[in-house]
Amino acid sequence: MKKSISLYEEKHSFLNGLSPETKLLYVVVAIAIPVMIGGRIPFIAFMAISIGLLIDSKVLYKAKTIIEVSGFILITVVIIQTFFRGGNYTELFRLGPLVARKEGFEYSMGILLNVLNIIFCFCVFVLTTKPSDMMQEMVKHGASPRLGYVFVSLFQIIPQMTEHTSTITDAQRSRGMETEGSLGTRIKAFLPLISPVIMSSFMDTKERSIALEVRGFSSKAKKTFLEDFIPSKYDSKIRMILVIIFISSVVFVILKATGVLPVWLR
Amino acid sequence: MNKIEVQNLHFSYTANTEVLKGLNFTLDERSTAIVGQNGAGKTTFVKLLKGLLQPTSGQILFNDRNIKDISVPALAKYIGLVFQNPNDQIFKNTVLDEVMFGPLQIGMSTEKAKIASQEALGIVGLEDKEEVNPYDLGLSDRKMVSIAAILAMHTDVVIFDEPTIAQDYDGKMRLRQIIKKLTAEHKVVISILHDMDFVAQTFERVIVLAYGQVLLDSDPRSVFSKREILQNAYLEQPTTTQLCHALGYDDVFLSPSEFVNRYRTITDKSAAKD
Amino acid sequence: MAEIVINNLRYRYPETTRLALNGITCQIHQGEFIGVIGRNGAGKSTFSQALLGLVPNFYHGAYGGSVTIDGVNVKESSVDELCQKVGLVFQNPFNQITGSKLTVYEEIAFGLENFGVPSDEMHRRIDNAMELLDISELKNRVPYDLSGGQMQRMALAGIIVMEPEVIVMDEPTSQLDPQGSEEVFRAVRALKNQGKTIIMIEHKIEKIAAYSDCVMLLDDGKLVAMDTPKVIFSRDDLAKHGVCAPTYTQICRELNIRDRDGLFPVTLEETRALLDADMKERVSR
Repeated sequence: MKKSISLYEEKHSFLNGLSPETKLLYVVVAIAIPVMIGGRIPFIAFMAISIGLLIDSKVLYKAKTIIEVSGFILITVVIIQTFFRGGNYTELFRLGPLVARKEGFEYSMGILLNVLNIIFCFCVFVLTTKPSDMMQEMVKHGASPRLGYVFVSLFQIIPQMTEHTSTITDAQRSRGMETEGSLGTRIKAFLPLISPVIMSSFMDTKERSIALEVRGFSSKAKKTFLEDFIPSKYDSKIRMILVIIFISSVVFVILKATGVLPVWLR
Repeated sequence: MNKIEVQNLHFSYTANTEVLKGLNFTLDERSTAIVGQNGAGKTTFVKLLKGLLQPTSGQILFNDRNIKDISVPALAKYIGLVFQNPNDQIFKNTVLDEVMFGPLQIGMSTEKAKIASQEALGIVGLEDKEEVNPYDLGLSDRKMVSIAAILAMHTDVVIFDEPTIAQDYDGKMRLRQIIKKLTAEHKVVISILHDMDFVAQTFERVIVLAYGQVLLDSDPRSVFSKREILQNAYLEQPTTTQLCHALGYDDVFLSPSEFVNRYRTITDKSAAKD
Repeated sequence: MAEIVINNLRYRYPETTRLALNGITCQIHQGEFIGVIGRNGAGKSTFSQALLGLVPNFYHGAYGGSVTIDGVNVKESSVDELCQKVGLVFQNPFNQITGSKLTVYEEIAFGLENFGVPSDEMHRRIDNAMELLDISELKNRVPYDLSGGQMQRMALAGIIVMEPEVIVMDEPTSQLDPQGSEEVFRAVRALKNQGKTIIMIEHKIEKIAAYSDCVMLLDDGKLVAMDTPKVIFSRDDLAKHGVCAPTYTQICRELNIRDRDGLFPVTLEETRALLDADMKERVSR
């Protein structure tokens, strides 16, 4: 049974070689620009770019799992908004007593695009960035190594905890507890599961923190790194391009708002 | 008579790696230790017994009923499993409540559950800790709480996953008594273990698993006489047996007292000859 | 040369009334292998943590007496100073993984990075440690994917790269299978041959008897005795202190077969020699 469920995988791709900062800048740009400009095309454009990058880095299959998990919630949002959004509405179609509303559907599509775009561009960052590179960058920019550690280890410890939760579920089912069935049953099953999860991760954390201490975690010495991260020669260029795109978008939005934009661009 | 029949049991987590490659045996009222290297498939096997995993092929019958046809919570009435790590299980604020949880889940009345739990706590030696918060106990006592929690359910089958971890000498002696008591009550007792000295002196049957297959399956004396086969499975003989081997004895002794008795008869004989 | 001097060490955990350590006095010399035995709750783990000043600096609580290593009082120094002199390895290999590294090699580097050791020096020390513990081929594996024995040796490597003179191990093999535990003991033997001082808490009594120069028997926070394995295991009050002698010793006690000093043997080899001699003597008599 494989225990490692780390998100990052070394694929020697172009994105693996880029500095975490550059990728983070991409995340900011990819989220901010579509929101500033509005409309659907910018969202779709950035999603397409993100998917292209993920394919290039050979990690699209990992993003798929993340999309599937969040997809469930997104579909719920679409259904609720389409059928139950308040206010005036234009009928799309009827499903028994329920009326599908155009306004609700469009509104939920807006949310859907926004969330998917955010997920995709974060995938680009998280799935192609080696945790220790991320930590190194953070420390270099003055973040405390402690914060860097917490941030980086979360990506590995959360998957561990999920696996642990399934063992705990098994342990309680083994004692006759129903975990499947009606909502009531599920809620009743919640407490016997959540308490061991918290208590045992609390105890593990205590042990782990001592284990870190005895390896000099609190040392006041200036940290060094096993392998110094060497930024790719493209890093600065890409950053420049991203900044230019961002500034142009800001200018575009301002011009549009003040109405000085030529007609053909509106 | 309670029994578990394992028939041509195969299991794999992923398509290309088979963890269990066709197990065939019947577990009965002889107390049985399952030994083998980590990764040999021991924990996977007990999960299958509990219905927590489903065989890829083959089947497990408990008293002629296919385990597949019984839901996990329903199976809890018949088969109890003590997990390796007690922290995976404990969630109540007092030891007594924790032990009563299982009995109540399988439909015992509160009154009966309380009696059963107090009795179980007596068996594990924690009768005076009823009102203590389990997390204020040390790991070895917490493990005993998780054992009591299963004993109180009065299941026909009791499975232990590495019960000797964290136990000191007294704890191991107590575990030995518990296993012997359950066996005397005609329960099916199965345990995964790494401590060969403990196995040799406690169990009536030993199954050696290696690479998902049964390597040896017999009484401890005959299993532990197979020094080379055990070595190939990365297992050691019990200490006394190793001593016999070092002395060049043909007999296999499993405990110091067996050795001493035999040694005395030999030396007495030679003394008598004079 | 690390000389550990412990003087009337007393300690009570916060919010408890019982002394977890109650007046321990002893000395441990460079290069010795010390086995620590005793029932659960005797104070073994607390004792091991007092050697790094985790008791009382991490846990707080009431503390008396002193532990000095090379004349440095551990209570007055910080854990990150001490851990370069004394390394600590725990029972559960899983909880010693930092969770921030993707390969075994990087995982072992963790402590060195914290102390600002230059990169080429790091590589040298890690390579040495991996070779010593026979885990060089695991270099690029993911820490969480290792077997228990491999994981525990990785944890040990993460400690020895910091080049401590003393290594304290708290039941390092209790959660491992026989093979994993054998791997760890082989690694420990390699460390002992390098002249490291090793202090090991362990329930596997035959192993303690075979490896230790000196055994500490603890009970109820007190040091009952500290002597050679033979002297300790020849005592007749072991059961009272919740431990048992090695199988070999039990057999020879039953048969009243002693060595020249009137003590019972504790290892396989010695027992075999004594029993062989005894048998010959009886037959020829």
